[in-house]
Amino acid sequence: MLKFYFKESFKRGMVQLVRRPMYFLMMVIVPILGCWAIMDMMKAGAVRDVPVGVVDLDDSDMSRKLVRVLDAMEQVSVKRHFKDFKQAKLAVQNGEILGFYFIPEDMQQSILSGKEPTVSYYVNYSYFAPASMQYKGFKTISLLTKAGVVQTVLRTVGLPNQAIMATMQPYATHEHMPANPWLNYNYYLSSSFVPCFFALMILMVTAFTLGSELKSGLCRQWLAVAGDNMVLAITAKLIPHTVLFTAVGWFVQWMMYRVYGLPLNCNPWHMLLAMPLLVMANQGFAVLMYCFTPNFRFGSTLCTLMGMLSFSFCAFSMPEESLYPWVAAIGYMVPIKYYFLLSVDQAINGIDLYYSRVYYAALVGFIILPLIFSWRIKHQCMNPIYVP
Amino acid sequence: MKQWLLEVYRVWWREFRLVLRDEGVVIFFFVLCAVYPALYSIIYNTETERNMPIVVVDYCRTQASRELARRLDATPEVRIISYAANMQEARELMYRKKCYSIVYIPRDFSQCVARGQQGHVSMYCDMSVMFRYKSMLMAMTNVTQEMGGELQKKRLAPFTYGGIGLIQNRQIPIGNTAMGMASAVLLFILPLVIQQSMLLGIGMLHGGSIERRRRNRGYDPMEEPAGICATLIGKMMCHQVVYVVPVVYVLHFTPMIFDFPQNANLLHSVALAVPFIIAVSFMGQTLQAFINERESVFLMLAYTSVIFVFLLGVSWPRFAMSRFWYVIGDCVPSTWMSNGYVLMQSSGATLNQISHYFYMLWLQCGVFFLLAYGVERFVSRPRYRHWQKKAAADPNALQRYDIIKNGVG
Repeated sequence: MLKFYFKESFKRGMVQLVRRPMYFLMMVIVPILGCWAIMDMMKAGAVRDVPVGVVDLDDSDMSRKLVRVLDAMEQVSVKRHFKDFKQAKLAVQNGEILGFYFIPEDMQQSILSGKEPTVSYYVNYSYFAPASMQYKGFKTISLLTKAGVVQTVLRTVGLPNQAIMATMQPYATHEHMPANPWLNYNYYLSSSFVPCFFALMILMVTAFTLGSELKSGLCRQWLAVAGDNMVLAITAKLIPHTVLFTAVGWFVQWMMYRVYGLPLNCNPWHMLLAMPLLVMANQGFAVLMYCFTPNFRFGSTLCTLMGMLSFSFCAFSMPEESLYPWVAAIGYMVPIKYYFLLSVDQAINGIDLYYSRVYYAALVGFIILPLIFSWRIKHQCMNPIYVP
Repeated sequence: MKQWLLEVYRVWWREFRLVLRDEGVVIFFFVLCAVYPALYSIIYNTETERNMPIVVVDYCRTQASRELARRLDATPEVRIISYAANMQEARELMYRKKCYSIVYIPRDFSQCVARGQQGHVSMYCDMSVMFRYKSMLMAMTNVTQEMGGELQKKRLAPFTYGGIGLIQNRQIPIGNTAMGMASAVLLFILPLVIQQSMLLGIGMLHGGSIERRRRNRGYDPMEEPAGICATLIGKMMCHQVVYVVPVVYVLHFTPMIFDFPQNANLLHSVALAVPFIIAVSFMGQTLQAFINERESVFLMLAYTSVIFVFLLGVSWPRFAMSRFWYVIGDCVPSTWMSNGYVLMQSSGATLNQISHYFYMLWLQCGVFFLLAYGVERFVSRPRYRHWQKKAAADPNALQRYDIIKNGVG
């Protein structure tokens, strides 16, 4: 008997899916295009050639050389030379340059006479990624120039090269950045934003499909076809979605890891398996939202809200430990957080599956949880009320 | 002409009443604008990373290595939570997410320094969030340079008789002087919130109208009969009036409440917002053609925010995008508005200095008006006529169509 009801409900779900071209658009075209857009925009990987300016009041051969080397650096590109500070400031204001390097008057003379002149670099931190690149470039050039002077002095007193190096930089740091030694921005940002975008689409489509049943008043029929079994009705209706979304999700993963070369340092199966879990967990989350508010508008509002805010709550760009604790806690209420954590463990760091066990379990939990509360939706289905 | 103005006025008045009557639209137009900026600001209000947990593996165990660790711990960026016996133990802590970075000081660290060679320190960093790497690097660079500088002075003293021309350097952050995350990101997001709330609201109004048409044989009883231009312009003027309060609140008071950079003149930012609102209104009236019922706005329009955020150039700068994405970004009003607004607010530019953005927004007004006109003339209105014809033949045709679409029958 259960088999018969399941077959009928499944058939009904399939027919609904096929009859509306919007589903195809929102489940296949938009997720793929959106994920592609995010990755393709950042495919250059690192910000290079940030447009900057130079204010050179010294105009000596030393300052000219400094500017030439600065321009040759990959981080920045000198767009303009300014006569004075004010002009540079105006250029920053109209967005022509994002920062500038300021060389004071008589710099060379001061150095040669043993004084300590100060060069300054003005970096516009309203543009975050370019700002850190500028900082890196400006800082390096300043230290290089300083080192050049020291080297000349030490060589004249006859110190060997090794000792000169050790004097100029007594402590050296070796940076080890496992998984992303190139500091590739795309690898870092797309690893979290692309799945989160996909999760948003799942949430919204699921909310929409459940909501339309309630709105059109066809929910009674939906329930009747499944033999008044709410769990069966939801499952059978959503299974076609699950299959389609999982296929799209695998395609997105293929784009991520093979086309755009995001780090995948684990057995690919670990991530492939996580995809259907992510799909079902998000569907489960959407159903859960309807259990709380069985109303089309509130249900979709909640799902959209949580989907959009998870980009911030889940600490993809601002690290978790520096958020307010309650904000970080909300992050743990959405499934994408667990997918993110497990992808960090598996795809990026490639550590043992053992450390990610909790995250996989949490995703499974999101699938089971709404089934317990499904009586709330059932109640609403029996007495559908549409409030616009 | 007088007739036409009267038509515009009537459309304006009707749209105004529709907006205020519809709870969903009020939520989009007002509540969203009030809550979202505040919510985002609160999330990012901590601005920077403070005291990221790290672990030190000190094989050297000398005064120099302890001094290094002590100074690291004293930086605002990081905090040492533990000293691990070996790398194995430290790595275990990192895998369990107790710490996000490991500093490894090798056995010969202080020996090398004392011998007049370079002392080497290794740092391993979790790369899942770039911010962590940045804080760790910042702390490490500052500490090693500080200690190095002290040593350098001592070593150079005999050669230089007190004075050697060493260039000092300093960074002066401008625009966002706090160098905080919220101050950088939120200023970009604020205009986008206005745009998205408007698109959603306009879409929902249109969805409501379509639903009324389906129930009423293709006619919308709430619609004011008017020419296409009068309809578009009347609605646009209504949106302009409705958005006076949200624009001032979002663009002026939100930065004030959360202490973001506020160097813009209120008049100038409002002046920039005028063409922005017009452009977005026409954009909404173009996109509304895709909306067939009230609730599908969530599905059809909400996700665009994510794409638009990227197009703004907030996480990845616009000059580094490929030509293709750059041009796509040019087509969205929020790109011009946000970038212009950020220049005004953080760098203190006047409207005159960013006139390019202002003119581009006016250009967009024109383009989106033509698009909206085309959609209304060649898509929407023929469709309504088609429906009316269909309903005249069979009064239940439209509603039946609705049911069939939901997969039943």
